[in-house]
Amino acid sequence: MDYRRDIPLAITFLVGIVAVLDYYTTLESVTNTFTVIKNWGVVLQAFALGLGAVNLFRVHGKRLSERTREDWMFSGWLLLMMVLFVVVGLGTGKYDTSTQYNWIYQALYLPLGATMYSSLAFYMAYGSYKVLRARNFEAALLFITAVLVIIGNTPIFPATFPGLFHLREWIFGPIVSGAYRGIRIGVGIGAVVLGIKTLVGLETGYLGRR
Amino acid sequence: MSIWEKLTSIPREVIMGLVFIAILIPALNPLGLPLMVGSMSQAWYDTVDDMPAGSILLFDIGYGSGGYPSLGPGNIAAFHQMFEKDLRIVIMATALEGSMMYPLIMAGVKPESNYGAVYGEDYVFLGYIAGGQTAMAGVLGDLHALASTDYQGTSLSSLPLAAEVSGADDYDLVVYLTTSGDTAEGWVYQAYSQYNRPLIGGMLSMMTTSMKPYYDSGQLLGLMDGIKGAADMEFLTNHPGDAIVSSDILSFTQALVLILILIGNVAFWMQKGGGK
Amino acid sequence: MVSMDPQIWIAALLTLAATSYAFRDNKAFKFAEFTFIGVAAGHQIVMGIKNIRDYGWSHLMQGEMIYIVVFLLGIMLYARYHKEYYWLYRYPIAFLVGNGIGISIRAGIHSDFTLQIAQTATPLIASTAMGSINNIITFVGVITALSHFIFTYEGMHKDALGWGPKIGRWMILLALGASFGNTVMTRFGMYQGRVIFLLREWLQIIA
Repeated sequence: MDYRRDIPLAITFLVGIVAVLDYYTTLESVTNTFTVIKNWGVVLQAFALGLGAVNLFRVHGKRLSERTREDWMFSGWLLLMMVLFVVVGLGTGKYDTSTQYNWIYQALYLPLGATMYSSLAFYMAYGSYKVLRARNFEAALLFITAVLVIIGNTPIFPATFPGLFHLREWIFGPIVSGAYRGIRIGVGIGAVVLGIKTLVGLETGYLGRR
Repeated sequence: MSIWEKLTSIPREVIMGLVFIAILIPALNPLGLPLMVGSMSQAWYDTVDDMPAGSILLFDIGYGSGGYPSLGPGNIAAFHQMFEKDLRIVIMATALEGSMMYPLIMAGVKPESNYGAVYGEDYVFLGYIAGGQTAMAGVLGDLHALASTDYQGTSLSSLPLAAEVSGADDYDLVVYLTTSGDTAEGWVYQAYSQYNRPLIGGMLSMMTTSMKPYYDSGQLLGLMDGIKGAADMEFLTNHPGDAIVSSDILSFTQALVLILILIGNVAFWMQKGGGK
Repeated sequence: MVSMDPQIWIAALLTLAATSYAFRDNKAFKFAEFTFIGVAAGHQIVMGIKNIRDYGWSHLMQGEMIYIVVFLLGIMLYARYHKEYYWLYRYPIAFLVGNGIGISIRAGIHSDFTLQIAQTATPLIASTAMGSINNIITFVGVITALSHFIFTYEGMHKDALGWGPKIGRWMILLALGASFGNTVMTRFGMYQGRVIFLLREWLQIIA
């Protein structure tokens, strides 16, 4: 037995089977065991939250110490920001409920988080102009519904012609429902098959290198 | 360079500038256009409206700063409706920043001053719970086996509402707002399939198409789709806010996008047809 | 009257720095980008420690000594950075993967498979003509979209049978167009919030 691979595979199987049995049976022993597993899972996921930060420390700490890259100062700033949040969060003992932590969150994280994802709006406009072309029949299909939905989503058009909003609602009815239900069934089957393969040890990618 | 070639190669900076102007003009001079409420938002509103006073809801703040501009206004409107109807809410966060959204949302709702709500009796916030679906299953399975305090460290047994609930059967409705596909699906799996709880969900508009099959099959009783859904909720609950204001901005920006698409396509086809 | 609140000023300047990428890559955006990554990681650490305290340490303090195993597993996660003992992280990962898969597939079969098929197997003829047309379109959409993803049988995409996957591709393209239309609204819906913040909270030129 290779304790480096076989024991983890066994753990995966046992934990997964308890979760599945909890769904299909009403045995109190299974329910109680699964409750423990769930609670452990929450704590382990919490431990896993630090992995990204450790990686950032390794990468940017190296850049900061070597100072060979042009943007090494930014790496230092990144680590400083990380430390700032940790110090303020843990220093008050109140974590995310402290006034100071909320202050720096609303000053730094909130505006950046909100803007980083939303500034893609500019690229959507440019991309639509450059790429959304009815070059052939199939591209025209995508083009038609995209344009009709954008029209239906633009309040000024349905305000003038209410039928455009109903057309948009209709597109989301049979057309979107039909195609996406087919996709959903396919994805569902795929996910279940992959899940079962992982539980029985046929898929071992999550174990990493040999 | 022919006119058509010029029209297919408008510089990126010009387009970006036009977009910025299209956002600024309606923000400075709102049009106040009428709103047409979508059927899925109406279904959300009706589902909550049908809840008798005193019903207990489980509400997940499953979004952070990225989703706040779209879902925040909808969250505020949803809470207004729930507090107006004297529904009791157990709030949790499956998103890492969800606990940071909570004070922002509550500053907009002001449940104590607006509705006489009392923390601990009418609503409780559990804080962020790591684990995604594991957290959902944990809260719905046996809350007190998982958590012993609320987000501020107050013992759950000292909070009447938290002491009253232990598992899924104690919740009359499960509600979530999220920007994550995993969370959106996760609640369907856990709240509906596993624990058979009525469920309504809100998400970004671009996720609506993939979540529609759940709405069609009755697993989701209502769906708030992004900024449009948030505007619908503000309209239905008669609490106008940023989402309704955004309707005017959407009018200008999306109209600009349509004009750009039209220019791009006409120029492309004229070029192709040899109209140089 | 421009706001005098330093928090608002910091937020506004960072918003403008992050937006500047729309025009071209620049040092201001890089500064905003690195700030974002740093604060996000810091926040993760804070919330991680809080969750460990609330859902792990609290149980240990209540006398559930078995939670020592959980803490050990949690620490073993960080063994992945060790050259020799990296394999230790497989134990907690195996637990997380098993838990995650078990929790999701048990309900996934019901939600994504059974109920979706049940919904499709409803009568095609409705009380109104439009309702019947909608049901037929939906039914055709589901069957053809599914057939588009069958690759194990070679003949599926050829000759007469090939029409199913072809129509399925058309239905998927129609649906993706709708998804694109909604994506445009999503992005603009997000950015309008930032513009409202700049005009209302920072520059204070709108109510």
